[in-house]
Amino acid sequence: MTGTCAQRRGGTRLPAPVDARRPLPTLILRLLVTSIAVLAGLAAAQEVELESRVFEIARQLRCPVCVSESVADSSAQLAQQMRELIQQQLEEGRSEAQIFSYFTNRYGDWIMLEPPRRGIHLVVWLLPVVAALLGVGVVTVLVRRWLASAREPIEVDQADLDRVRADLESGAS
Amino acid sequence: MTRIVLIVVGVALLGGLFAFGLLRGEPNRDIPSAIVGKQAPNFVLPLYERFHPDFGESLELAAQVGRPMVVNFWASWCAPCYEEAPVLQSYWERFQDTDVLFVGIQTQDRQQYDAGRAFMDQFGLSFPNGMDDASAVSVEWGLFGVPETYFINRDGTVEYRLVGPVTAAVLDEQLAAILR
Repeated sequence: MTGTCAQRRGGTRLPAPVDARRPLPTLILRLLVTSIAVLAGLAAAQEVELESRVFEIARQLRCPVCVSESVADSSAQLAQQMRELIQQQLEEGRSEAQIFSYFTNRYGDWIMLEPPRRGIHLVVWLLPVVAALLGVGVVTVLVRRWLASAREPIEVDQADLDRVRADLESGAS
Repeated sequence: MTRIVLIVVGVALLGGLFAFGLLRGEPNRDIPSAIVGKQAPNFVLPLYERFHPDFGESLELAAQVGRPMVVNFWASWCAPCYEEAPVLQSYWERFQDTDVLFVGIQTQDRQQYDAGRAFMDQFGLSFPNGMDDASAVSVEWGLFGVPETYFINRDGTVEYRLVGPVTAAVLDEQLAAILR
């Protein structure tokens, strides 16, 4: 019962399964190479993710030595250093809020491209909403007035009405 | 009639806004510093070789607490820095017998060591100067540009920050304040 079907049929010996023929060191080597490739892939993916997080945070910070540019968009040396600091702090496990706080402690709220939603900065957020509501209110009042005035019957002078009727009956243009 | 007046007022307002946008010039860079009134952030600044005999290879701010300090940030490409350098040097010469310490920090000037040496030679700067090559000190101090000068009192608190070239009048006033 130990012989293969091929041996029993024609006596020709079939090649052993591929893995069975490989010596152990080759298998270990292959496993090692595969593991390294997988780990390298994972590391590259992590690096890409880290880089995108760095830029995501940098996009919300104003470049101190530029005009209307974010830290993500600027190629200034200071902006590069700030991106490096963001990366370093992310690697140390700091949260986005902690990183923003690091920069606001040094530059004040000015460093944030989006004004914080507190104190006097709330005016920036609330003013557009208030203006929009006021606008809607004014338009509503005006439309109501126009509709009401359209519903009112038009007063026509009886003499003019008679003249128009007479003209229509006589076929005058 | 009222409608015409409203249209004229509206057009005048929009025109005024447009003219303001065109004529307002450069945005104001004098943004308040977040570190004024706080403890000056520490740094360890590698100094140029010429300062090694008197001040050592590097200067640590924390080791200077107890001395009033004037910390000036400059760059070799910055025109106003050339304006203020002789003023700083003359005040350093006048005040170096007191315990005040002037420190120059070259920043936003990556690897421009030769340009830095030429700058110091041009004005014969004898107070310690070093290079913040990666701009790390600049970020730590919340720097907006160059030149910027910080006046630090004896307990290490930042008393005043000046954006732009330092003048004799500013130095007179601020040195008197930190030497008190």
